[in-house]
Parts: sequence; structure tokens; C-alpha cells
Amino acid sequence: MSSVVTGRELGLLKCLRCHCAVRALQVPRPRCPRCHAHLHMRKPHSLAVTAVLLSLAALLYIPANLLPVMYTRTVLDNERDTIMSGVLELLQSGSWPIAVLVFVASIVVPLLKILALAIILYSAWRPSGRHRRQRSELFRLVEFIGRWSMLDIYAISLLVTLVQVQSFATVDVGWGAVAFGAVVVLTIAAAHTFDERLLWDEQP
Amino acid sequence: MPPLLVCPACDLVHRGDTDVSAAEIGRASCARCRAVLRRSPHARIDTALAVALSALVLFLLANAYPLVEFQVNGTSRATNLAGAALGLYHAGHLALGLLVLLTTVVAPLAQILGLLYLLIPLRRKRRARRQSAVFRAVLQLRHWTFIEVFMLGAVVALVRLSAFAKVVPGIALVCCGLLMMCLAALTSLTSAEQFWDWVARSRR
Repeated sequence: MSSVVTGRELGLLKCLRCHCAVRALQVPRPRCPRCHAHLHMRKPHSLAVTAVLLSLAALLYIPANLLPVMYTRTVLDNERDTIMSGVLELLQSGSWPIAVLVFVASIVVPLLKILALAIILYSAWRPSGRHRRQRSELFRLVEFIGRWSMLDIYAISLLVTLVQVQSFATVDVGWGAVAFGAVVVLTIAAAHTFDERLLWDEQP
Repeated sequence: MPPLLVCPACDLVHRGDTDVSAAEIGRASCARCRAVLRRSPHARIDTALAVALSALVLFLLANAYPLVEFQVNGTSRATNLAGAALGLYHAGHLALGLLVLLTTVVAPLAQILGLLYLLIPLRRKRRARRQSAVFRAVLQLRHWTFIEVFMLGAVVALVRLSAFAKVVPGIALVCCGLLMMCLAALTSLTSAEQFWDWVARSRR
């Protein structure tokens, strides 16, 4: 295409649910004629909502990593595991592929997700016109990998359910796991509320 | 007027007849940001129904049989899919339990049942009541179905437990793996474009 024409310039509203384009009419609350979803030129208050969710996630990332996620009580000893010490334990028991997997899913991915969303949010707030495609692709990557951080929560939920042998061993959940679950949900929600088109909008 | 395609990620307008070549069967992507512009509908409603029914059967099996069995000191404990969420609840973490319940039990089941509710009447050229609202809910639930992550979490839990007890993977773990594949297939078979194409055809 020789000239760049956007939907906004043509007065077209895109339905993000069913992917049809609708001519914007002067009605108070437009809805998609096909699937009745609410239509917006851009997601309402996208930057503000995403920024709030992201700051909360960044704040909770600290207790998620410092507080214990799991307590293990056996006849021999009491153990408190943070996410990192769980990874180290897996490494010592010789199952390094699993240790790497948990390390990437629970420590690297959430941190990178928070940093990437912060960069994306900044470039949507102060568009420079450069690296737009990379930012867009980074955002899609964040959207795609978001769910994989739930890995450790599921592992803990199974451990807690299974290891309840009276007088031999019990496993309890720590508040670190709750904070961690909140981080995962908040970052996924932040990615949902962000409108990717803001990265591409020309400033007037 | 030629059909216009608006990119959902960067708002660029493409002319459906010239900018997007007809040879791109399956999916067309945006010239500027490479996001998916349109997935051409090509699936049959019977295929989607068959996959949805298999997914339902596999979901029921995954909940009827033990996922993992844990044996120590002559006693054994087993859990199924929903049991993991209940275990967190019994450990005093209601919020975390609800999160696990939503992402591994409620969202997959509601998604499968919702699609069956929509597709069975549609196959006979009828329309289910509140069709668009139900389909929008199905799309929303897709974002929160994390069965594939749960599978990997189960593997992590198995490795951790095998260090100090005998763990037996149950039949439900296999069902869970197959369910994961069925849900992935179902997601690609019933994209929004595809669903509304079926609806449009049923009107004729």
C-alpha cells in the first residue's frame, strides 16, 4: 500500500471480538452489529488502567519472591521454600531440566513481563515513531507467555493436596504464593487492557 | 466498495481485494505490524462439534480418575483435576483455590459446554438463545483456560515428590494431555471469524 490510511481516519471502528470493521456512527454507545460487543475507537482509559495494574504487579513481585511460597514439615525437619530456594532444591536433586523450567517460568518470565510492559507503556505514552514493530511484537510475546507463569502455582496446589500424610509430612502454602498468583493475574489483566494500536497512533 | 480490512493491532486499513492476496489461505497478516488480519473460515461445523464432544468426555475422565497417586509408608493419596483447587481451599487459601479452579476446571468446562450449546442448534440451521452473548463469553473464557500450564505444573510436582516418595501418574494425566490438545484444536477451529461465518451460512 502506497499511502498509510488508518481506520480512525476513515471513521471505521474495529470490533476486537469478531474482527469486523464498522462505520462509526454518532451514537452514544456503539455496539457491533454482528456480535453486539461494545465498540471503542481505542480501549477506554487504556494507558491509565494498564499503568495501575502494572504498578500493582511490580509491587507484589517483591513479596512474591521474598516470602515463602511453601512450608514443608516432615519428622526430620521444617523447611520454608521461596520460589528461588525451590529452584535450587530441584537443581541439587539432579533434575536440572525441571529446575531451569521452573526458574524461567517463575522468575525470568514475570520479571521480563513487567519490564517489557513498562517499556511498551512508555512508548505508547511518548511515541517516538521508532522501533514500532519490535514493540508490537514484544507486546504479542508478552500476551503469549503470560499464562506460563502459573506453572509453580499448579505444582504447589498438587503438592499441598497430595502431601497430607499425618505425622509423616505436611505441606502448607505460604503468602508468597498468593502474592505470586496476584502478580500473574495482574500482568495478564494489564496486557488485556492495553490497546496495541496506541503504539502506532500518530500524535496530532 | 471493496471490502476493507482494519488491522486490530495497528489500525492500518487494507483493501480486501488488492492489498490482501486471495492466495493467502488460512490467515492474512498486516503489511505494517505483521499481526493476523483475518483467518479465512475453512473448518466444518461437524469437525468442531466432534472435537468439542471429545473434549467434554476427556474433561469428565480427567475428573473421574486420579491424576497422580502418592504412596508413602503404606498409605496412599490421590487427587483429580478439581482436587488440586480443593486442596488449596483446605489449606486456607480460598483466593488461590478459586484461581486454580477457574483456570483448570470452570473455564475449560464452560467453554466446551458453551460451544456445544451454540453449535448443536447451528448445525440444524437454528440459533441458540442469546447466541452472541454466549459466544463472547466463550472467547473471554479462552483467555483463562490454562490446562496446558497445569500439565507442566503436574510434571514439576511429580519430579519434586519422586525425591521422597513413590508417585504414580494416573490415567487422568493422559486424559488431561489429550484434553489440552482438543482445546487447542477447538480454539483454532472456532475462531470468531469462523463462528460468524457459520452463522451467516445458516441464514441462507
